[in-house]
Amino acid sequence: MSEGIWNRMQRIDRRVLYWILFVGLMIPFIRPIGLPIAIKSSTRDLYEELRQVEEGEVAVLSISSGVSAWAECLPSMVACMKVLVQQNAKIIGWTTFIDGPLTWDKIVSLVPGLEEYTYGEDYVWFGYFAGAETGVAQLASDIRSVFTADYYGTPIDELQIMKDVNDVHDIKLVLSSDTGDACDYYIRQWHTPYGTPVAEVGIAMQGSAYMPHYRAGILFGMSVGVRGGAEMEKLINEPGNATVSMDAINISHIMLVIVVVLSNVGYIMTRGKR
Amino acid sequence: MIVEFFFDIPALASTADMLRTWVIIISTMALALGAVNIMRVHWKYIKRREPGHWTYSICLITVFAVLTILGLINLKNPMVNPVYKWMFENVYTSLGQTLYAITGFYIFSAAYRAFRARNSDAAILLIAGCLVLLTNAPIGEVIWGQIPVIGTWVLEIGETPAMRTFLMTAAFGLLAYGFRTLIGKERGFYGEVAGGE
Repeated sequence: MSEGIWNRMQRIDRRVLYWILFVGLMIPFIRPIGLPIAIKSSTRDLYEELRQVEEGEVAVLSISSGVSAWAECLPSMVACMKVLVQQNAKIIGWTTFIDGPLTWDKIVSLVPGLEEYTYGEDYVWFGYFAGAETGVAQLASDIRSVFTADYYGTPIDELQIMKDVNDVHDIKLVLSSDTGDACDYYIRQWHTPYGTPVAEVGIAMQGSAYMPHYRAGILFGMSVGVRGGAEMEKLINEPGNATVSMDAINISHIMLVIVVVLSNVGYIMTRGKR
Repeated sequence: MIVEFFFDIPALASTADMLRTWVIIISTMALALGAVNIMRVHWKYIKRREPGHWTYSICLITVFAVLTILGLINLKNPMVNPVYKWMFENVYTSLGQTLYAITGFYIFSAAYRAFRARNSDAAILLIAGCLVLLTNAPIGEVIWGQIPVIGTWVLEIGETPAMRTFLMTAAFGLLAYGFRTLIGKERGFYGEVAGGE
């Protein structure tokens, strides 16, 4: 009898697990939890460095994450943009993803301060460039050799913001939002040879991948996943989507730990009998 | 380009600039080539009525054609075209986010099946994984105030040296692979067995 229970604990049908998770994720919709969020040093460093950007300095937002990563990356990107706008920084955006323009449009729509910014003078969007790391290396060397016009076809020399911006030396810092290894491109091609400060705004998985770089001082800050977004929202005192999503993170993570513990209890109890 | 990375020689820098620009141009052309290849492959599926493929191929070619035509109408900024914008915002974005969200369910099920303390190594991995998971969620701190402390330690002190070792090893491996490729010893990318003649 008891052996049956232990065995069943190890063999819960995956459809049952899906339903358990689905129902669990509904709980915050009915009754929000809203647990306090502690701020990690990596996110605080990101925020503090952005606050050091002075008026007129140029920051690059490199988007290498698709729309599928909006839940994880977008809140933090929006928060970072809000800080840059507060600092009256000039912002240049480009992407290595084909759906990067969608993400850029979304960010622009979610940052109210950009309304007071003038396109072409205070911020500009260049859109997609091919070549991945080679493209990033060439941007460091000569932006005009990669982009001759912005996303909307305005020649680069007619853009006021680009008047004194030619290469990596004219950029204050880079925010790389990615779901893969695009941040490595900036580390290798911008930070290592030229010392440009680089920060990562990535999905949760990248927390461990980029932690060595952050700990070594190569990245000045990191915002990792939804949690990073929620921390950034807390730092700018504007709770948003990431803060709301933290309830789902709480539920899903604790449920995952519970089912893993259950399966292991069943496994340990039946191990001697196999 | 390797030499240009280490030495500030203007002549080398301009040559490297030119080479990088070539790569960008070739990469851009490769996108067009990729698009043509996708059409070719899926057209074949439709012609052969390939079981399990051809209906999806029709969908792919139709959507590809519609988006290409709409994109070409407003070449400078396709997003001003309401149909193009609608398709991206209500089809592509929704599908992309749904697919990504579904992986959460798969991971939930996969973790349940795979995370077993079959030996001491697996047990350590399991405990560390659970601690890092609970560190990422504020509920971990509610359960026990020391969970974030231990989880952060695991992530920053425990994991970092291992990840650094992995990164350094991979970098040296890549250097060796690149060098072997340059001297013609590595031909795996030609489809040959590595080291084969």
